[in-house]
Amino acid sequence: MADLELVTSSAVAAAGHATRRRNRRWLLAFPALAFLAMFFGVPLLQNAARSLGLGDYPSASTAITLAHYQKMLADPYYLGVIFETLKVSSLTTAFCLLIGYPVAYVMVRMAGRLAVPLLFLLITPLLTSIIMRTFGWRVLFARRGVINDFLMQLHVIDQPLPILSSSVSVYIGMIHVLVPFMVLSIVPVLQGVDRRLEDSARVLGAGAVRTFFTVTLPLTLEGIATGCVLVFMLANGSFVTMLLLGDGNVVTLPLLIFQQFTLTHEIGLASAMSNLLLLIVLVCLYAQLRLARLKEA
Amino acid sequence: MKARLAAALVARHAGNWLLGSFTLLFFVFLVAPIAVVVAVSFTPQAAVSLPYQGFSFRWYARLIEYRPFADSLLTSLYLALNSALVAVLIAVPAALALGRNTSRAATATVAFLLAPIAIPALVIGLSLLYYLSNLGLGVSYTSLLVAHTVISVPYVMRTVLAVYRNVGSDYEEAAAVLSANPWQVFIHVTMPLIAPGIFAGSLFAMLVSLDNLAVSYFFGTANVTTLPVVMLSYLQNQFDPAIAAISTVQMLITIALLLVVERTYGLRALTTQ
Repeated sequence: MADLELVTSSAVAAAGHATRRRNRRWLLAFPALAFLAMFFGVPLLQNAARSLGLGDYPSASTAITLAHYQKMLADPYYLGVIFETLKVSSLTTAFCLLIGYPVAYVMVRMAGRLAVPLLFLLITPLLTSIIMRTFGWRVLFARRGVINDFLMQLHVIDQPLPILSSSVSVYIGMIHVLVPFMVLSIVPVLQGVDRRLEDSARVLGAGAVRTFFTVTLPLTLEGIATGCVLVFMLANGSFVTMLLLGDGNVVTLPLLIFQQFTLTHEIGLASAMSNLLLLIVLVCLYAQLRLARLKEA
Repeated sequence: MKARLAAALVARHAGNWLLGSFTLLFFVFLVAPIAVVVAVSFTPQAAVSLPYQGFSFRWYARLIEYRPFADSLLTSLYLALNSALVAVLIAVPAALALGRNTSRAATATVAFLLAPIAIPALVIGLSLLYYLSNLGLGVSYTSLLVAHTVISVPYVMRTVLAVYRNVGSDYEEAAAVLSANPWQVFIHVTMPLIAPGIFAGSLFAMLVSLDNLAVSYFFGTANVTTLPVVMLSYLQNQFDPAIAAISTVQMLITIALLLVVERTYGLRALTTQ
């Protein structure tokens, strides 16, 4: 009896000890949590409040108003910008997939010993500054730039092409920045595909193309989905490419926020626009979460 | 039968050839704008052009003449180092505290600590600007440091979490059974195990900080500002090869950092999401 009591009490003590230790562990997370709550969570909430007319600018107000959102959604110009943002992001994502998938396929299936150097090449542009890359495209695309010179010397064209004053340069710049993310998302999934499944399909008489579309592609949908969500999200937040390669032809939400801030100082509207951008990203994150759940199931 | 086999072989050969050339073109596309900038940086001419005639370091000399480049490069490096340091100090304990906790609260907290990676930096920067101005920090080095730390935390968190979850708890339990106290376990067992993760995470955070424009743009002052901001305003005012030279210098620094990561941890850590 006494023994049992001793055992139970020490078990209770041990359990209490473990709980205390768990609680102490939570303390370790406190600095990071407090820092991000203070300098990330609260500012974003404040921004949301500002977009509803609350808060500190231009004067403390307590009446909620949807005026900024109404202005944004009633004005055809702003609606056009929102539409353009979604269009640029979708098209960029589609192009990145069409270009990135074959490249990932070659890197996994055909590159052999070249795979590691190719991976290096794929990552290096990610680590050069975005300004360097847009500057490079401007040199290549300029009226008297490398591409126009080359094409004129070959007599393919007589007049220099106005590449920089079309939206083509923005799309090329965006694809250049984001396509490595697509390839990097597809490569690991493609590596995990059991090749015996493809061999079986071939043995059973399916051609190479049919095998690809009925076996390989469905098995790599997860990588495609991850890559697409990632690229779409990153495209939504980009503005340097539009700023330096767009020549005013492509105006998206981030660029407009940037311009609102630097030129017109319409803070309420800028807040509403960044809140909308945030909302698009949250929808993407939710989609990503659902995809992750699907993967686990 | 033989003819069909031959036709299939030819088709396959052609397919491979097509895929191979497509990939080759892709990598040319990927490298072209960067190679062009490096080439332009060595031009002897005053205008942006490829160095068709001669080869010169005059634009690298310009980097030393035009003070904002050198000053902001130093600010950027200093800022990248400091924000990574603060991020390590707060993110590593959090990763250790939450890494093996599967409760809902812990999972949600981890998601929150990783969130800044997913939110457009421009939105973070704009929101933080008004918030910090109300606190009286406004545009200053401190504000830059706070903003860059917010962005750095998820990168450190991500790699440390990955490594910590990967090594499992066996070693730490063994040490505890052998009567090491929690502090001894941390210093002699946990720390050496997660060191590569800390290292890779903070280097990656530094790389991101060095190239960040969207956040830095809001907090730079006339005296203290980062290199990308100086490059952007230079590019908007004049179009000369100095930008190519400073870009090349920055790329070399970045590649050096990347090689350090590769040597100590392997490139894989940078690609796992």
